Parts: sequence; structure tokens; C-alpha cells
Amino acid sequence: MKQPERSLAIVIVLGFTFAMATSGAATSPLTTVSQPAGLHVTMQSELEPVTINQMHTWIISVHDTQGEAINDAVIQVDGGMPLHNHGLATSPQVTGQPGEGRYRLQGVRFHMNGEWELRLQIEHAGVPYQATFTLTL
Amino acid sequence: MHRKKLTILLVALGLTPVLAYLAWQHVPAPLPARWSPQEVAILQSLALQSLPPLPPDPGNAVADDPGAAELGHHLFFDTRLSITGNVACATCHQPEHHFTDQLQLGKGIAEVDRNTMSLVGTAYSPWLFWDGRKDSLWAQALEPLENPLEHGSNRSDIVALIRSDTDYRQRYESVFGRVPSQQSTDQVFANVGKALSAYQRRLLPGATAFDDYVAGLDDAGELQPNTHMSTEELAGLRLFITKADCTNCHNGPLLTNNSFHNTAVLAAPGMLPAMGRTEGLRRAQADPFNCLGDFSGAGEGECQELRFAKGGDDMIGAQRTPSLRDVSKTAPYMHAGQITDLARVIEHYNEADLAMIGHNEAKPLGLRAVEKKQLESFLRSLTAPLATDPHWLEPPESLPQDALPHRQQPQTPNTRGEIK
Repeated sequence: MKQPERSLAIVIVLGFTFAMATSGAATSPLTTVSQPAGLHVTMQSELEPVTINQMHTWIISVHDTQGEAINDAVIQVDGGMPLHNHGLATSPQVTGQPGEGRYRLQGVRFHMNGEWELRLQIEHAGVPYQATFTLTL
Repeated sequence: MHRKKLTILLVALGLTPVLAYLAWQHVPAPLPARWSPQEVAILQSLALQSLPPLPPDPGNAVADDPGAAELGHHLFFDTRLSITGNVACATCHQPEHHFTDQLQLGKGIAEVDRNTMSLVGTAYSPWLFWDGRKDSLWAQALEPLENPLEHGSNRSDIVALIRSDTDYRQRYESVFGRVPSQQSTDQVFANVGKALSAYQRRLLPGATAFDDYVAGLDDAGELQPNTHMSTEELAGLRLFITKADCTNCHNGPLLTNNSFHNTAVLAAPGMLPAMGRTEGLRRAQADPFNCLGDFSGAGEGECQELRFAKGGDDMIGAQRTPSLRDVSKTAPYMHAGQITDLARVIEHYNEADLAMIGHNEAKPLGLRAVEKKQLESFLRSLTAPLATDPHWLEPPESLPQDALPHRQQPQTPNTRGEIK
């Protein structure tokens, strides 16, 4: 297995991803550790619960293993529905940094119920990290 | 005698798999006694009771102004907004056909290359046209006016009408607080679109038997066939939210996610495959009347759909999901009217062939013959009179008779698309 594939395969999704039984909506925060290890990454939606067809914003929080806030990361976000073989409905972008390791991610809109992946590429101190979250709407 | 028995046995053995196949294809599966809690939640999310109030249009300060809607009502039915004097918005968007025209391809001055989309409920969509090349209802309303195949007019002529016609001038001043002759042509033209949008925002779908059925569901989720919906329609509804995967895209109370999907619809004969959203977004971003443009009243923070829109190769061949409300009244289907009826639409999704360009998001469904009929039966039940005051569905009484659209076939262009 090639290195990038193995890296993706062993991404550990910690935290909690809720598949709410009745509403087709998920709640945040979502938490994971980066691959390679070194960053704790949390995503909190400003739309709670997260539901389809609504444009909304998330706050990404990035800390190192000692709990120190990382304020100089460059973050790009991609994702999609693995089972449907399509990407995100929008092109979300980090548009601001409220401080304390937080990054404002605007322009997220899910357009189907089901399992979604959000994949973060985080560049910090010259090292590229990945953090992958799943949520089920 | 022995041979006769043997023949009967062989025929019976031969017929058995045929009969079994026919039974499998045509015998309906029994319905469960009740919906699961998850299914009830899905049904409620699809019902009109879940439809929120009209979203604001931050780019259009008169979006909900009654005077603007009246002005837009007049403009919508006025054939003077065309170069030939015989094409109005209502020529293609006919109220009696749920604001479509029953044609494969729309026909204004001449035939265009797209099927006419309904206007009902489109005020809820952040994107307009099949490829989403406009990001508001008011910006959408402007393009057909200047399309040589539709109204064939231009902003100068349309603004001249607003400035010269006493009734229009007075209505305009009342709504926008400015004399049209003291504003730029582009500004008055944009305001024409905003008035048309104020009218079109009032075109909303009515409650169907499905909505009444969902409203009447009890806590246990008892199926209750034949209260509002027949057993066949309920079976179709069950397929709609499960095996047929329709709610992947046709979700929410308008039965559309207003997003863009490539479902491998073949190009219409004689046409190249449509690039869809990939091209549509490029045009929306370049449109001077978009959310971020000079004629929009919206701030940058209110233009998130445009700022964070997804384009590029992923969206090749993707077209906007249409609402399924009143779907039986809006045939033919797809962006170039390629599919004539609902049975063929269902067959299209059941087979889910490879796309000509891009990739097909849909997967084969494996629906049996009886299931396809059940699904069609449900889709046909999604019909109701509009939840719109009938006043808006007729031309305004004060519009001059010679400005009203006629229902006869528009002029046919010659092979170069010219009108003599």
C-alpha cells in the first residue's frame, strides 16, 4: 500500500459522530487527531443540529499535543460522500481567525442525508497534516 | 398416454420460472402496518408543513413590497417587453401549466435549447436556470428579456417603455422612489428584474394529498391506507424514501435540494452534451447583476452562495434538481426535455447508465415492474392547486389588451434563427 493511501486508511476518527436516529441531522463538536500525529483538531458547527440544504459556518480549533493553540496554520477543506462518489456541494473556505487556535470555515452546505467526510489539509511549521471527520446526516 | 403426461410435465417445468419471474415483476409486496420513527421523520421533512417562510432576498430591497409585486405582475404578462411584441414571460411560463409550457424546448421568438423550468417555489432556490447561471430570482428575470431567441429585446428598449408608459412610470416611482428617467439604464433594468422577482416570489405550491396524509399521521406511524393516499401511492412513497433513493436529491418540502447533479441524461438529438453547472457557475461569477455586483443591495456577507459555490470539473454535466411538486403537470422532463413522461424518467434512474460527460452520481435501482408503477403513482399524486391568490395567475386587468400574450404558436424562425 502506498504511503498516502496508508495514511488515509489509518486516520483515526475519535470524538463523537452522531447519526441521530430520527431527524437526519448531526450534532457537533467533532474531534480527531491529525495524521501524522501532532495536532488535535476540533470542529464545531454554528448550525445545530447540522441539517441539509442550509449554508452555515464551522469553527475549526487546532492545538498541539501540549494543548497549545496553533494560530499560524493554513487550512484547506475538501470532502464529500464516499458512498456516492461525489464531493462537497460547496467550496468552503477559512475566512478568519477569531484567535486561540480557532479558524472560521464559511460556506458549508450539505445537500443530501447520509455519511459525509470533511477532509482538512493543515499546513503548520512546514509540515502537511491531514484531519478527517465523518458525520452522518 | 405416457408421452402426453411427459409433455405436460415438461411444459409445466418450462412455465414455472416464467411464471415466477412474472409474479416477481408484477405482484406488489405487502406494506408494513406502520412507518418507523425514522421514516416518519423523513416524511415530515418532505411535507409542505416543513416549508419555512420565504427566505429574504438581500439583493432586492423590494422583494416583498406589494407595489413591486403588482408592477412585476404587469411586466410578467406584457408582450411589449419583446422585440416582436408577442412574447411575454407568460408565453413560456404559463400559469395554467404550473408556469411551464408543455414543450420539449421553450419557444419565445424562436426555439431555445432548454426546457422551460417552472417558477413555482423557485424563490427558495439560491440558484436559477438548469445550470445555475443566475444567483437570484431578480437577476434571472433579466436574461430572457435580452436573449435573441426569447424576448429578443434589450435593456434600452425596456427602460424606454418604463419611462414612457404613464402607468409603468407611476408604479416605478411609487416602488423605487425615483423617477426612471433620472436613473441609469442599467439601474432601471435591474429594478425591472426586482419587480418581476417580487411577483414571482408569490408563486407557491399548494398542499397535496401527500401533505394532508403526513399531517394526519398518528404517533404510532400507522400507515392508514386510503385515508388520503391509495395503497399503490403509499407503496410508491415508501420506495421514494427507501429503495429508489429519490430523496438523495429530491429532499426537503419542495422535493428538491436546489443543487446540481449529473445523472447521465443523454444530450438531446442534434445537441452537444451540456456542460451544466461547470459553465453555469462561470457565467454567474461574471454576471454584473449577481449578488456581489453594483446593482445588488446585498453585502458581501450575504452572498455566501456565490462566494463559496462549487464549480470545476466535478460539476461537469450537472444540472439543477427540479422540484417534484406538480411534476405530472410539467412534462416533458430534463434540461432539454429529453424524456417525455414519468415512466421513462423512472426507467432512466432504474438503469443509471454511464454519463456522456462527467460521471453519473446515480446507481441502478433494481426496481421491479410493479414498483416502477407504484413510484409513478406516488409522483402523480403530488399535485394541487397553487397556494397563490388566483389574482396573480391571470393577466392584470389594467394591462392594455394589445400587450397580452396570445396562446397561438409563436413565429417560426428560418434556419438561421431569424424572424422575418
